[in-house]
Amino acid sequence: MLKKSLDDLDRNIVSALADDARISNRKIAGDLGITEGTVRSRIKRMEQEGQLHLTAVTNIDRLRSPTLAYIWIEVERSAQCDALAEQLAQVPEIGFVGKMLGRFDLLAITLVQDNAELASFLRREVTGLPGVRRTECSLGVDFVKHDYRMGRIVKVDDGDN
Amino acid sequence: MNADTGALDEMDFRIIEYLRRDGRMSFKALADALTTSEVTVRARVRRLEETNSLRVVAVTDYEAMGYSTMLAVGVQVEDRPAEDVARDLAQFPEVFSICQVVGHLDIETLAVAQDQEGISRLLTRLAAVPGVRRLEPSVALDVLKNQSNWVPFDKNNKTTGVLEAC
Repeated sequence: MLKKSLDDLDRNIVSALADDARISNRKIAGDLGITEGTVRSRIKRMEQEGQLHLTAVTNIDRLRSPTLAYIWIEVERSAQCDALAEQLAQVPEIGFVGKMLGRFDLLAITLVQDNAELASFLRREVTGLPGVRRTECSLGVDFVKHDYRMGRIVKVDDGDN
Repeated sequence: MNADTGALDEMDFRIIEYLRRDGRMSFKALADALTTSEVTVRARVRRLEETNSLRVVAVTDYEAMGYSTMLAVGVQVEDRPAEDVARDLAQFPEVFSICQVVGHLDIETLAVAQDQEGISRLLTRLAAVPGVRRLEPSVALDVLKNQSNWVPFDKNNKTTGVLEAC
């Protein structure tokens, strides 16, 4: 079931929040010519429906582990794919988990310091999981672009991610 | 934060942690949670923002933005520096994440499309970028997680374009 698409007003509010989500509702209301109450209720609705999450992002260059690793995983038996994906999604260091069609069965993305750390991360968190047959990794050298508006908002209420 | 090295300390990381959960948590609530003063928290957050370490942003779900499909597209490059190809790929609003990598591919990207025809059109356009030898696309049946807590700030993560595109 797809999430509902945002309407024009939603999108204008999201645009106003895009680069600094701590901007006040009053400012947004003034800029868009609507009431503060409308801004507040729209933001609340988008958050409740899992369409929007106002959150802190940190600069990758400041991170202690600044290299992206794309981990492509082939499963032993196809029936194990869903359970394995769920397990990978539980690993806090893994930022992206997708069930894929085409190259391999699953893609997980994480951040590591270097090759050595990638190897130990794989050993610790991935290759030991039931169903992992084979992995192939691409290690990032330069993270060029990331548009955080294309997220996947899963948890809405507790948002403890 | 260490003034000389810019290294983040424990309190910075705790502030970040709270703001991840709720980016609009008030300075007062942050101060209470960290048992410190509002002045301290305010100064810390400002400092994190000014040093380009932290931003509080609006993350939207790709489905809410009108896209139904996410795909990973690996790129093999020939006869052109991979960073130049990556820069060209960054101009596509549908290609929302780009990383130059080492491995059997030169660039890994994540992209979104509205439907199957959209995938086909996007791949045709990507294949036409000078220097692109081969695309290795893989469609996501289901995305269980895409958090993007850590992003590059200063390069091409422009936030314009996608709204217009959908």
